[in-house]
Amino acid sequence: MIELRDVTKAFGSKKAVDHLDLQVRAGELYAFLGPNGAGKTTTIKMVCGLLAPTSGSVLVGGYPSGSAEARQLLAYVPDQPYLYEKLTGREFLRFVVEMYGLEPAHATRKIKEYIDTFEMNDYIDELCETYSHGMKQRVVFASALVHEPKILIVDEPLVGLDPRSARIVKDLFLAQARSGVAVLMSTHLLSIAEELADTIGIVNHGRMLAHGTLAELRTKLQSDASLEDLFLALTGGDRPNLVGRNATSRVETVQ
Amino acid sequence: MSVALSPVLSGRNQVIGAFRWLRGRLIANTMRSVLLGSRLRISMIIACCTVFWTGLFFLFFGGFQFLAIYLSLTNIVVEYLFSMFFLSLLVMLFFSTGIIVYAGLFHSKEAAYLLTTPASADRIFAYKFAEAIAFSSWGFLLLGSPLMAAYGISVGTSAWFYAMFLLYLLGFVLIPGSLGAIVAVLVASLLPRRQKTVLTSLGLILLGVTIYLGARVWTSPGQLFTQDWLDSMLGRLSFSQNTLLPSRWMSAGLVAAAKGEWYESTYQFLLLSAHGGIAYLVAAFTAGKLYRLGYSRVQAGRSSRRRIGWYAIDDAFHKVFFFLAKPIRILILKDLRTFRRDPAQWSQFLIFFGLLAFYFLNIRRLSYDVQSPYWRNLVSFLNLGVTALILSTFTSRFIFPLLSLEGRNFWVLGLLPIRREQILWGKFAFASGISLVATEALILMSDIMLRMELGMVALHMCMVAVLCFGLSGISVGLGARLPNLKEEDPSKIATGFGGTLNLLVSLVFIISIVTSLAVPCHLYYGGQDNLNFGYGAGILNEQQFKFWLTVATVGSLMIGVIGTILPLRIGIKAFQRMEF
Repeated sequence: MIELRDVTKAFGSKKAVDHLDLQVRAGELYAFLGPNGAGKTTTIKMVCGLLAPTSGSVLVGGYPSGSAEARQLLAYVPDQPYLYEKLTGREFLRFVVEMYGLEPAHATRKIKEYIDTFEMNDYIDELCETYSHGMKQRVVFASALVHEPKILIVDEPLVGLDPRSARIVKDLFLAQARSGVAVLMSTHLLSIAEELADTIGIVNHGRMLAHGTLAELRTKLQSDASLEDLFLALTGGDRPNLVGRNATSRVETVQ
Repeated sequence: MSVALSPVLSGRNQVIGAFRWLRGRLIANTMRSVLLGSRLRISMIIACCTVFWTGLFFLFFGGFQFLAIYLSLTNIVVEYLFSMFFLSLLVMLFFSTGIIVYAGLFHSKEAAYLLTTPASADRIFAYKFAEAIAFSSWGFLLLGSPLMAAYGISVGTSAWFYAMFLLYLLGFVLIPGSLGAIVAVLVASLLPRRQKTVLTSLGLILLGVTIYLGARVWTSPGQLFTQDWLDSMLGRLSFSQNTLLPSRWMSAGLVAAAKGEWYESTYQFLLLSAHGGIAYLVAAFTAGKLYRLGYSRVQAGRSSRRRIGWYAIDDAFHKVFFFLAKPIRILILKDLRTFRRDPAQWSQFLIFFGLLAFYFLNIRRLSYDVQSPYWRNLVSFLNLGVTALILSTFTSRFIFPLLSLEGRNFWVLGLLPIRREQILWGKFAFASGISLVATEALILMSDIMLRMELGMVALHMCMVAVLCFGLSGISVGLGARLPNLKEEDPSKIATGFGGTLNLLVSLVFIISIVTSLAVPCHLYYGGQDNLNFGYGAGILNEQQFKFWLTVATVGSLMIGVIGTILPLRIGIKAFQRMEF
């Protein structure tokens, strides 16, 4: 469903993504991990067609990313999603289903279904400008799923969500993947990746360091450690040095 | 190996329908919330537009009546006038639409969202282009409609003329708007890291051409308003009559419509609208081909650019303003750095005050300096008033929102080892400092060019200082009292209830200060003129003038102190109580 072959993206002299290969199959939930500035968001933007690769190819459902066919198949939830402030949540959902050409009766059913799923009945008919961050996130997730995408791309999905909403979103991701949707999720929360992902890809400096199931990663690294320790080992050092130094100096000061 | 899916693509009509529905809902919801929530602002806008429109109408109407003196040349002069007017608007619309299209297509979150939907690049362009045209041409309607109404009434034309004007307007705005949009898309696609260089270069070329043409017109030989002068001036404006210019089609067509020459008028309209249509098609085609590429390149070009710290300037600032508390100095430096790095702020400041400086430098060309003391005094106070009004728009637009924007970052400032009120004093020092430098220089320039007496120069400079402190105090104080901590966009904060109230209070403050000092001067110098022309004594003699001027000066100083301290006190109290 999603296929990146030898993809490089350079911003001037800096390579944000460096000869990256990545594949997400239908029904797979792929967690894309990496430290800040590793190239995760750049990769995701290339999959969505917002950035063109400097070299290599990005295919979405077999079509070049950014093509009309590719856009029709995917839904994208960015880390800072956009909502029309002067639309109500329901109006925004209606705009989305019209844009994707859903049959009206079916669209109305789907809108109602997601309003119920995300428990938005209390505020869905108010203007989005009055929503809190968490309320906006729910509307954005509903808008991403309401047109029944075949590919779901999510950048930092749980930021700003309360535990209940986070649970709903996690369950929905699993349900989507089990129904055949390819889900590519970028996150810093290793526990989420550990809990949900079928496949985990760890990227740093734009390069894929390791990918596979958690068991495969452990085998590859010959370690039974947690994902956090594997991640830290792969991305440079077991523990960040600064924390150790600071902690040591504080202890010395106290003594 | 992945297998291609076969998605059912959204039809073109579905996407068009979705955009149309979106636009309708956005307009309806915005209108509803504006009518329910911002009555003061709406009343202010309607009142200001009405006053502005009526003032322009009478100005233009008087102008057309004056032109009627040159009976044989009236039509020619009107065509030249219209051609120049529409040519200026053509250039302004080119720039404004281009900039709005660029920002809307390449730097907005909405564009990033729409580019991931099934909407094609040319449909997104069409949607954003319509928005840009509406934003950039409402001013055209506000300026053009009183001109056309005044012209129509002065020549006694039929109602069809006004209907034709609206049609002409639609055809006309498409041409500069489309050209601006084409340049915006090309710059993003071909020169994604050079957009500021392109804009600055175009602006400088435009400024150069304007200054050259302005100087040529100003230096038209002959006594003002004589036939020779008019002939030579029209000769120097003949470039505006070039038949390849859309402004010429617009003016010729409208003049023909006013005279009832429908064949000529229709021909010019078809010429204009055909070119408008073609220009739009070229723009949509260009966007269809290049928008996605341009978006990608602009985003890729926004990589980290190191900023020059100018730390030597910081050190110098600390040394020069050693008497201010260090936290205040640090806060001022932070605001100065933001000001320097935000082109919206310094460019607006530069354009408005630059235009004023240009006018003040030309005062002697207008022979104001050799007029009677009464006239020079009147002009000097008018200049003072205009400078203060422009300053008030600056403080309302940029100083008032400072605290609201700071509130969002309060976790940074709130944890610093400084008292909250120091943050406000820092803002006040920043606002009044930057205002003082600009306005004192301008008023000194105006008074020197008008050859004002030393005493009056000193009085005006003191007045400007009072105005700077007062307007800064009002904006900082009300900004702290009526903050909008939810909004990130400073322009929206400035146009909200607090911003509108701030502008109103600033206007009242300016009127109080300027009129209290201008009235005794006006009565005294008016009397001097009467004496010179043998009309009898003036209303105030010298003794009375000195007395009333002293009273007015003390009064204005008191108003100034109250206008500065009171809002600041209110702001400090509110700011200290504020929870973030």
